[in-house]
Amino acid sequence: MNPRKDLITIDSLSDEDIHTILESTSAMKDIFTKSVKKVPALKGKSVLTLFYEPSTRTRSSFEVAAHRLSADVTTFTVSTSSVVKGESVHDTIDTLMSMKMDYIIVRHKNSGIPAVIARHCKAAVINAGDGAHAHPSQAFLDAFTIKEKYGDIAGRRVVIIGDILHSRVARSTSTILQRLGAKVAYMGPGPLVPLQQHTGIPRFTCWDQVFDWKPDVIYLLRVQNERIDFPFFPAADYHAAFGVTEERLRRIDDLNLSIMHPGPVNRGVEICDSAMDYRNTLINNQVENGIAARMSILYHLTPQTQCHD
Amino acid sequence: MTNTYITNATWALTGARIDLRMGHGEEIQVEDFDGIPLPGVNGIAPAGEMQVPSGARTIDATGKLVLPALFDLHTSINLEGHSKRESIYRAGQAANHGGVWGMLVMPSRGFVFDNAATLDSFDDAVSQRSFATMVPAGCISEKMEGTQQAPYNTLAARGVTILSDGGKMPESLLMLHRAMKYAAEMGLTFAIRGDVPALTRNTCIHPGTTSYKLGLHGSPACAEEIGIETLVRLAKDTGVRLHIQTVSTAEGVAIIRRAKADGMQNITAEVALHHLLYTHENVGDYDTTFKTLPPLRDRADCEALLAGLKDGTIDCIVTDHTPCLPFAKKQDFISAPQGMVGLDTFLPAIYTYLIKPGMLSWAEVIRACCTAPMAIVNPYDREEDVPVAAPLLLFSPDEEYIVTPDSLCCGTLNSPLLGSSLCGTVTLPIN
Amino acid sequence: MPSISKSEIERALDTWAQHLQQRAAAVDAPLAIVGIVSHGDILAQRLVQRLQVAGCDALYGAIDITLYRDDLDMRGNRPALRSSHLPFSTDGLHLVLVDDVLSTGRTARAALEVLWEYGRPAQVELQCLADRGGRQLPIHPDYVAFNLSTEPVDKVVVHLQEIDGEEDITY
Repeated sequence: MNPRKDLITIDSLSDEDIHTILESTSAMKDIFTKSVKKVPALKGKSVLTLFYEPSTRTRSSFEVAAHRLSADVTTFTVSTSSVVKGESVHDTIDTLMSMKMDYIIVRHKNSGIPAVIARHCKAAVINAGDGAHAHPSQAFLDAFTIKEKYGDIAGRRVVIIGDILHSRVARSTSTILQRLGAKVAYMGPGPLVPLQQHTGIPRFTCWDQVFDWKPDVIYLLRVQNERIDFPFFPAADYHAAFGVTEERLRRIDDLNLSIMHPGPVNRGVEICDSAMDYRNTLINNQVENGIAARMSILYHLTPQTQCHD
Repeated sequence: MTNTYITNATWALTGARIDLRMGHGEEIQVEDFDGIPLPGVNGIAPAGEMQVPSGARTIDATGKLVLPALFDLHTSINLEGHSKRESIYRAGQAANHGGVWGMLVMPSRGFVFDNAATLDSFDDAVSQRSFATMVPAGCISEKMEGTQQAPYNTLAARGVTILSDGGKMPESLLMLHRAMKYAAEMGLTFAIRGDVPALTRNTCIHPGTTSYKLGLHGSPACAEEIGIETLVRLAKDTGVRLHIQTVSTAEGVAIIRRAKADGMQNITAEVALHHLLYTHENVGDYDTTFKTLPPLRDRADCEALLAGLKDGTIDCIVTDHTPCLPFAKKQDFISAPQGMVGLDTFLPAIYTYLIKPGMLSWAEVIRACCTAPMAIVNPYDREEDVPVAAPLLLFSPDEEYIVTPDSLCCGTLNSPLLGSSLCGTVTLPIN
Repeated sequence: MPSISKSEIERALDTWAQHLQQRAAAVDAPLAIVGIVSHGDILAQRLVQRLQVAGCDALYGAIDITLYRDDLDMRGNRPALRSSHLPFSTDGLHLVLVDDVLSTGRTARAALEVLWEYGRPAQVELQCLADRGGRQLPIHPDYVAFNLSTEPVDKVVVHLQEIDGEEDITY
């Protein structure tokens, strides 16, 4: 893999990059079985998590990944108040540069912020989710989980269900899966599924179309009402119209389909209770693989801070 | 008073080769040459036929075009963090480089034209510092807040003929309706961009492939179209003169075309040059230079706008010149301000991208950038008590140059043409 | 360019396996042959097979030392990772670390660090196919199949059938 400072989107990666990171994810996962679950690859390196949006899962997944590579982790708490007070991202970048961080893991509600930070600092910047733009580490853990389950991603059919319009997960995961030869379709409430002419991805608005398409994996997105300024659709409809109900779960079971979800799950909204215990639910595998995928990403990026200039 | 002779020039409108004698204070004025007034010209003859006295000041204009300088109907000159004088100085200098002799200055944060004092101090600053004529557009509402009408009578007494809230469509149609009724009696023109603010809040790009890829909220074309339709109805009801600003969608053009076909004489419309040249695809990977208001749309919209310009539905091409500080444009796409600068490069860009490839003729450009905007603004010299006519400029179409930060006079660098090669250099004023 | 042929390598492995068999008989602890990815693991596999044929049991393991290299920071890019395969605790084992070419000793140092994260072996030996000299660390092999005299600029390349499709040592 060619030297690469940042990971902002899947689009910016070559096929070789994608394969290398995926393969190393497997090697990283082997580390979890050792009695010492730690390797010295990033010993003495400093990793900063800069989250402008609340997140427990992604942040702790990155923190565990960094610790297992022996890096030191600092959590930069950006209180909403200081953002409101008008501290610009540029001011924050200046602060970070002075802290001599090697890796910066950033999440922000505005699409495109990690790219701005990456341009202006020497640290390796990892996009941990920006607006509705990209969430590349999620894409890697999803691809790895499917690869682990099915052996190969090429030819698999994955339908992503939910609020596609506002979902960075849908964008990044569909991109990586397509790059690896899978077929992807979108399904969700009409106003939340972008037109096929804009995405190049088949667009469904009901479950019958989903089953007709013969997917292997049902990928459910979290319904995020907090990000929507004004409702796009009546929320009360969601479970019955778009969720995995008991009845749909039986059909999913009959067809032996897998269920994935980036978490955290809204039980009774995207998914019925019993689906969590369904034999082909890969949600816990995703969490475990998330750490390995993030270790692989951290390992393969090379900060410019290492240059002794 | 000595004369300057311009020999062997090409009259851009018709392609005729002419000699000109220029000098002020002469009794004989050549008026309305091909329908265009030629201020300062006191003699005209087919090329080679004019007697040039020996020793007279002569400009050999072989290979150069002569045409009236352009008037830009849509300019914001406010340079955030700089003095008003600096803003005026920079914009005037930039205008002359781009072949623009005069402009309608939109009210903005630094120039709130809602009272007599602001207008007076602006006029003073312009007369001291500007290379170009600057006509202020008065505010529609006080502080451009959209609630209370500005004192139109006071503004009109200071020479204001156009009212605008700087591209903002007032949210209260009641305020706007009453404002139009009141101002219609004074012969004022409302310059407004069609919009439904509730539909475009928090949006920053045209909805399409780019908005999907970048995860940005799309500004629906229908918001502009509903806005235009609303404005047309209001103008019809109140009889006020309406100038629709920066039309960007194909359907917007169609609505205006229908209104004009219905016999509405009191409507004019403009398109910004960037909406003719660029699409949302130019945004690429969050290039904030291409963040505009309204957003850059599809190729089909560009084509419809050009067709509207050619059939007279759209009257003018404007710069929608908006200086944004480099710091502001270096932010992320959502936080960065909208707008690009266009004065410096206006005529060279029009020539390079529209005239040279044969999409527009010189006659169409002169109409859209000179005669039509002048007819809308009617610039008037209140001291001399005479209408003002456009001066002439010389244009060298064969001179190529690359747009560099140093070549931009406007004070900021948010030009989409930075680094591009343009054909044609402007001499304005000629002396 | 001098080279060592496939048949010479095969013969050397036979001798090597005999040596291992003697070692196994001499020590009390169970024997584990651990190869360093990406060539040492294949040599280790072949040695374990030879031992089995001779009726001598030995555990087989493979380790990738990439994450333990001391030069990660000096490189522009990161080398690809391969999976380690050490499905047993190293506690109390007599461990034989197998590598293709021994030179500076840095790989062996990293390998020792890896091994200790899987337990506490009773003893560790270092054995390799070729020793080209040029040690930078106090590390000495316990068994060497081929001693090569090389200059630091020379390249020593081992090809093995299983991954390279051909087999020889060139230097």
